[in-house]
Amino acid sequence: MSAPRELLRSVVVAGGGLTGVLAALALRRALPATQITVISMPQNAAAFADRAANALPYAHRFLERLGLPEDRIVLQAGGSHRLMTRYFGWSGEGSAAAFPYGAITDPALLTGFVRDWGGGRRGANVQTPPGSVAEMLADAGRYQPGLPGVEHALRWHPASLRDLAIGMAASLGVQHIQGRIGAVRLDAQGIAAGFLVEGAGEIAADLFVDCTGPAASLLAQMPGAERIDWSASLPVREVFFGKPGQPVLALEDRVSLTPAGWLHQMPGRDGLQRTLGVARTANEQSVVAALGGEPVDRAAFVPGRASAAWLGNVVALGDAAAVFEPLMGLNADFALRQIDLLLELLPGHDIVRDIFPGERDEYNRRTALLAGNVRDLLGAHYCSAAAQSLFGPIAVSDTLELAVDQFTRRGRTPFFEESPLLEQERASLFSALGLPRGRGSLPAVDDTDSAREFAGRMRAVLQAAPPYPQWMAGVLQHAREAQS
Amino acid sequence: MGEANSKAVRIVVLGGGTAGWMSAAALARLLGPKARVELVESEDIGIVGVGEATLPHIRGFVERLGIDEARFMAATHATYKLGIDFRDFGRIGESYIHPFGSFGEELAGVPFHHYWLELHRQGLADDIGAYSLGVMAAKANRFQPPATDQSLAGTYGYAYQFDATLFGPFMRDFARGLGVKRTEGRVTHVERDATSGNVTELVLESGERIGGDLFVDCSGFRSLLLGDALGEGWEDWSHWLPCDRAAALPCEHVTEEIQPYTTATAMPAGWRWRIPLQHRVGNGYVFASDFVSEDEACAAILGAVEGKPLADPRVLRFTAGRRKRSWQNNVIAVGLASGFLEPLESTSIYLAQMAITYLIELFPDAAHGGAIDPRDRDEFNRLVDMEYDRVRDFLILHYHATTRDDSEFWNHVRTYQVPDTLADKLELWKRAGRIAKYADGLFYDASWIAVYIGQGLLPETHDARTQLPDPAQTSRAMDAFHAAVAQEVAAMPGHREYLLREAARLAPVPEGLAA
Repeated sequence: MSAPRELLRSVVVAGGGLTGVLAALALRRALPATQITVISMPQNAAAFADRAANALPYAHRFLERLGLPEDRIVLQAGGSHRLMTRYFGWSGEGSAAAFPYGAITDPALLTGFVRDWGGGRRGANVQTPPGSVAEMLADAGRYQPGLPGVEHALRWHPASLRDLAIGMAASLGVQHIQGRIGAVRLDAQGIAAGFLVEGAGEIAADLFVDCTGPAASLLAQMPGAERIDWSASLPVREVFFGKPGQPVLALEDRVSLTPAGWLHQMPGRDGLQRTLGVARTANEQSVVAALGGEPVDRAAFVPGRASAAWLGNVVALGDAAAVFEPLMGLNADFALRQIDLLLELLPGHDIVRDIFPGERDEYNRRTALLAGNVRDLLGAHYCSAAAQSLFGPIAVSDTLELAVDQFTRRGRTPFFEESPLLEQERASLFSALGLPRGRGSLPAVDDTDSAREFAGRMRAVLQAAPPYPQWMAGVLQHAREAQS
Repeated sequence: MGEANSKAVRIVVLGGGTAGWMSAAALARLLGPKARVELVESEDIGIVGVGEATLPHIRGFVERLGIDEARFMAATHATYKLGIDFRDFGRIGESYIHPFGSFGEELAGVPFHHYWLELHRQGLADDIGAYSLGVMAAKANRFQPPATDQSLAGTYGYAYQFDATLFGPFMRDFARGLGVKRTEGRVTHVERDATSGNVTELVLESGERIGGDLFVDCSGFRSLLLGDALGEGWEDWSHWLPCDRAAALPCEHVTEEIQPYTTATAMPAGWRWRIPLQHRVGNGYVFASDFVSEDEACAAILGAVEGKPLADPRVLRFTAGRRKRSWQNNVIAVGLASGFLEPLESTSIYLAQMAITYLIELFPDAAHGGAIDPRDRDEFNRLVDMEYDRVRDFLILHYHATTRDDSEFWNHVRTYQVPDTLADKLELWKRAGRIAKYADGLFYDASWIAVYIGQGLLPETHDARTQLPDPAQTSRAMDAFHAAVAQEVAAMPGHREYLLREAARLAPVPEGLAA
């Protein structure tokens, strides 16, 4: 007869950045009777998940489960919508290509072949629809949430979202202390009995969640802690942040190849954010030229991941588990997926006796797969001729080589477990990154009729959608009226 | 036209069984002018043709080829299948249905089966099948196609149970209608290119030579091209899956109702299938010859069938395992020529179908250089291996997760060491009631839960969070779910009734069904 595990009695979340606060909130919702304490400390500049102002479509669905629905993020945390990212220069100078979210929206335009045969997970021989809905909406500047078949990602103001989550966590009884993390005290089994916290003495807990950023202050002290270096796979070592520009409401982000490196321009209600991932050949002049002014901040880092993100009773999340450049919204996406996975595999109080490594092994197996996908998606940014002439060659992992080879020769996107992108999204991304899509095996079919029908439906969607600024103004106006 | 033909890849399919005609039909239909398909078969060589039960994926195959479901079902005397009823596997006298569908609903991020385990502990839970629409519909002998939305009515899937000796010919007629050439003859020699090792020609008994660019080996267990001619190695799994024979025996229906499910009943040295078709019931005893003789097995199946036998038992021989690589040189093995896993979970046709799918995705047509790219071959082999390996572990679970100690056979399977890949999954389940996740290949969470719990392998612990809600509340929620399931089932027509209704759209009513 199966017996329930004993609930965790106490959890300490080290790190009061966005990752730590959201992890604490998630744990509090899952474990209403467990003592949950956040220890906050100064943030590292390269804690990219903590300073992330955007993520992938998965993020807002997860945040909603934490009690942070999209409308609250729009009203209280500067939220805005991104339908796609446009990549400039990846296919050579002057080129521009869209990377929209979501599966291709018109089922008739999919090659139903593998979807039907394989149960819908594999995305082989996918075709691009004649004009993506997201691209049409972004070009027209028209949008409102809830349009059929349109997928979006959310942008936000990181400090406001963090404040919102802190308020919620505090009202639910999450404790908070401040102080730097000191030495660990291990018990005989190699389980962390407690960590010294400056000014607070030793803090004990059943489970420690390390959200301390790239330093991984807790995990790094655990026996067996090791780091896997991604330096050969990802060329960028430093990121510069520009002075925020004027607020812009737009449905697309832009990522451009400049002589200094890649430049991400993200519109937002609190100003246009510019981030520059520099190539080794960049100099001060080219950095200033790319950012349109002097940088206001910079962050140096070495890309890589913890070989095991969960050791003993310490679980590292986000920047503490993997460090990589802030592109695509993957940093927050990775951190949130890890929180989700921890909730799925949440251990019981028995973790302090370290009697069962199964959940830890499964967590580490899946986190490694997820991190490998992240590394490969970022690595794909450095595979085109244009990117390589700027950043130089990279070491291509077996999985990235398979993905690029199959895509460029055969138009296939092999399925990878724990991928943050759908196969069709990966296909769009690769195309946008200057990797020309190969032809599929199936003979071309005449899709004139379905294309015409698709275009008709898209016109209807476009007409139904208001100009995005108008929609946003209406929402904010309505909220102000409701308040007063 | 002439140009298209000159560029067309010449495909030679060897073997006219189920896999052979499925391959020929799909390649011809989907590759169109890119391929010229020819099939070589010999009427003297029988086909195995016992893969009567299928998985839901077969529907995609039929639909993709543009075949009308009702016409296909009538031609193969097919019935609907909602799952498999496993009897006596975990313990003699116990049974469970592995449905094409899910159990219950998750609550607060914790999967349903943890709450079920908690209520079961408190004596408040019904059999877990009571919370699955697929299971309950099967038990009630009812059927209707699932809803396509997220509602309760969409929480199950279905496949077919058909006459495999009719399925092959159905695919043959379809393929021949598409211009697939059929050549009668027995292969006596395989001609290979001295440099590349590629197969160039099949030489038939008549002296006729059949040349091709690509050879699809569907010669069954013989594996004439991949195994014999190319000598591709074999990965033997008979230690874990010791059954190596099947005694097949069709019989008459004895009941009015037709079960919309397959039954697999454990036997002293294997298990036997029972597959209800429109016009008869397929039966067979899959056994391990190390533990029971052929004569004893034939006697056992004769004694076990409930209806009048329609033939003498026919014995088939096989070994569990797969070729190390299913695609070598220019030979691609599909079906039994590539590997064999006993039909305990009806995977044979699925495995053939997936190999065909991957072959088409990776097809060496003119647009891809015309020649076989080793990277495509590697990718094909990676995918096929993944499919086989996942099915293998799941099958082993059916044998290993047992308390049976009533025969040498069951003692062997109960006590052997399972493959590491399965051992990890088992450990995670046994200790914490969790399922190791993957999304590719076959058999996801619900399937593993069905077998684990169905065979009495309850974990030591389940999620601590199941204690958070008030037990009375959880219990009420589960009762409400069960009631909703029962209501859905009550609204469904009987299986025979639904079959007749569908068949009525195609006159005349198939003879097997006529009352």
